[in-house]
Amino acid sequence: MSRIQTRRRFMLDSAALGVAALAAPRFAPAGPTDVPVDMSIARWKPPAPSAALPDAMAARLAEAAIVQLGGMSRFVRRGDVVWIKPNIGWNRKPEHAANTHPHVVAQLVRMCQEAGAKTVKVGDNPCNDPKQCYENSGIAPAARALGAEIVFLDRDRFRNMAIGGKRLKQHPVYPELVECDLVINVPVCKHHGETEVSLCMKNYMGVVEDRGEFHQDLPATITDLTRFMKPRLCVLDATRMLVANGPTGGRLDDVRPMFTVAAGTDIVALDAFGCELLGHKPESISTVAAGRDAGLGRTDYRALSLKETELS
Amino acid sequence: MKRRRASSASTRLRRGVQLAFLLLFLGLLVFMRPRPGGVPSEWLGLFFYLDPLALLLTAVAAHAAPPTLLAALIVVVVTGALGRVFCGWVCPLGTLHAAASRAMDPWRKPRPERWSRWQTSKYYVLAAVIVTAALGLQWVALLDPIALLYRSFATAVLPATQLAVEATAGSIYQSNPGVGEWRLPALSEPVYRFLRDDVFVRPRQAFLGSGLILSFFLLTLALNAVRRRFWCRYVCPLGGLLGLFAWRPWLVRKTDAHVCNQCELCGLACHGAATDDGASGWRPQECMGCMNCTDGCPEHGVTFVFRPPWGGADREKPVDLSRRGLLGAAAAGAAAAVGLYNTPQARGVTVNPELIRPPGARREPDFLERCIACGSCMKVCPTGGLQPCLTEAGLAGLWTPRLVPRIGGCEFECNACGHVCPTEAIAPLPLTDKQRVRIGLASFDLGRCLPYAFGRECLVCEEHCPTPTKAIYFTRGEFAARDGRVVTLKQPHVDPNHCTGCGLCENVCPLRDAPAIRVRSGGESRDPKNQPFLPG
Repeated sequence: MSRIQTRRRFMLDSAALGVAALAAPRFAPAGPTDVPVDMSIARWKPPAPSAALPDAMAARLAEAAIVQLGGMSRFVRRGDVVWIKPNIGWNRKPEHAANTHPHVVAQLVRMCQEAGAKTVKVGDNPCNDPKQCYENSGIAPAARALGAEIVFLDRDRFRNMAIGGKRLKQHPVYPELVECDLVINVPVCKHHGETEVSLCMKNYMGVVEDRGEFHQDLPATITDLTRFMKPRLCVLDATRMLVANGPTGGRLDDVRPMFTVAAGTDIVALDAFGCELLGHKPESISTVAAGRDAGLGRTDYRALSLKETELS
Repeated sequence: MKRRRASSASTRLRRGVQLAFLLLFLGLLVFMRPRPGGVPSEWLGLFFYLDPLALLLTAVAAHAAPPTLLAALIVVVVTGALGRVFCGWVCPLGTLHAAASRAMDPWRKPRPERWSRWQTSKYYVLAAVIVTAALGLQWVALLDPIALLYRSFATAVLPATQLAVEATAGSIYQSNPGVGEWRLPALSEPVYRFLRDDVFVRPRQAFLGSGLILSFFLLTLALNAVRRRFWCRYVCPLGGLLGLFAWRPWLVRKTDAHVCNQCELCGLACHGAATDDGASGWRPQECMGCMNCTDGCPEHGVTFVFRPPWGGADREKPVDLSRRGLLGAAAAGAAAAVGLYNTPQARGVTVNPELIRPPGARREPDFLERCIACGSCMKVCPTGGLQPCLTEAGLAGLWTPRLVPRIGGCEFECNACGHVCPTEAIAPLPLTDKQRVRIGLASFDLGRCLPYAFGRECLVCEEHCPTPTKAIYFTRGEFAARDGRVVTLKQPHVDPNHCTGCGLCENVCPLRDAPAIRVRSGGESRDPKNQPFLPG
């Protein structure tokens, strides 16, 4: 009963937001006061240049980024089922920066719960053994401690869905994930051999199966997936970045502190910001350019309604 | 329908103890799972530590044994005092055979279980096993009851159960039956999830050639239709070994000659067929201490009493082994060892590229001296890539582990296999050491690799390569298309200085049928002879 309602509501909301997102840059008057914030960036200025990021600060950065964006209640309604989709792709420790920072994830869980979410689910489709990835990334223990539901994506529960993309027509997607009221996409900002960067759009690789072939045309497949997923809220974890030997990492020398968390409704804008953090021009990154060309967002994120803050 | 006689207190006690040990065995087996961020507990190998045959054979073959195996000396001492109670009360395989024997009772003619000369065969099996072990092969350790049961359950019975669970839960989930608002998956899914997350190691776990392992196990069970506890009486080399120690136990069977009328009912339910000469003779080396004889005697004339071994041994009969039989068994063991060992591979003439041993595995002859093919490493492997050999290591290496990267690579952050190996055929390496061990070397098949052969971008292997400095790197190369265009794309290469041979690349290659990147054993750290490169 309630499920039908929420799904319908989800679809209506998605459609409305999609129209709004597409229409906003073209027709909306660019006034800083009457448009909602599209993107927010929170940075931490460490007391000393060599300071390490305290876990609590990772959480505070995530909190600040969401609050600036209008707070979690802008996206989560009372009784919603929310899926938080971090990058838990690899069996690595948090300090290796191959997965999303566990305390960024934990903070989002907390904020969803405070906004009245009925259930907060956390899950990804890892490349290494899921149980080891979930535990060693620190994400499952942190989210479990807050009462989030840790979901393993079951290989036997994927369902073929109509993606209707340029490259992907049909593909196995995890139903439980797309049936949630909201999916919060929380990637870690890092290097990737094939696509140079792995950011928000690439993070959707974790909602499907049989993705090995995607590599033959990552820009198109990732764009197709992103359009299918209809992103409403993405949070880019750049508390620390893996800058080489990605996306797996494993060398602490390849990890750079960045003390930054960005959040926004425009996935391409966030990816463009991530490209700049990693030292690339967004237009030179094929996946980001493909997302822009497909109308999923804009790479000139500074033209959006943008808020920045610096914590100390 | 014939009613069974009510069980006595001692029988119920024995069955309770047997069940407890069987459940303990199965519990330890189920808990033998990878532990994120750590290694599985040493206690999970408990039954191997209590196995004197594993200790003896490892010591004989490798001239060394891990200290944990010395716990088996407890069983030796207990056997010396109480007889083969290990077989009758503890051994989980023995318990299954006892249960199967009981279930198959109707198929056998009821008759007193008299000792048969053929029961000496297990001592000859033991002799042959010891000789093969002395010559450096653990091959007949396939018959060790603990290893046999562990292997059968880990690689065949449990995965078969998992298949049944996954198929059932999957079809319930897909068809979603129910009554009114209530749907059956509301019940089946939580059960399934529990089993998936807390019992099974990984989804769709299956082992190559597990049908053969299962058939062998079922055959040993089926033989109970011929004789009660056939395996334990005639074949089991551990039973034979314990029988040697049960030569003159303290706990002996006493028959009251005044009441015994040679009815032989005491032997009707005997597990070990230890009675002889009517009811008066008793063979302590065959007795498993099941005490069914005390229940069976209508005159209550059979009891077990403690008596120091230096007392009279009037009615106890030792198992008489013939010198000819022992020499024959030893010769057979030697012939088997030499025959199995005399292959080009075992002699070091050839190297099997497909034989990728787990990280920390000893060099091949040493490995075969220790590996009892128990399946612990295969059970614990988080990717399911460790699989039983069929002939890859020669017949001598039947059911020993090898990595099959197509099924699962070697997880970079895992060193579990070495820590669960009861005989240290795989060394228990610290994680940082294990990450430096090379088990093989990956190489590309340029005639199939997409960027080389078909002009398509790919690099999935590079993406998954887990070494901190990626062993797979790429350069920009050219591909000549049919229309004359020259396409520039990223083409991968292997850096042998960093490749550990883990096989994750082979596992994820989109060419599922025959991956364009394969790991072969060349370059494996354990074998200085199997090295392709000039050192330095």
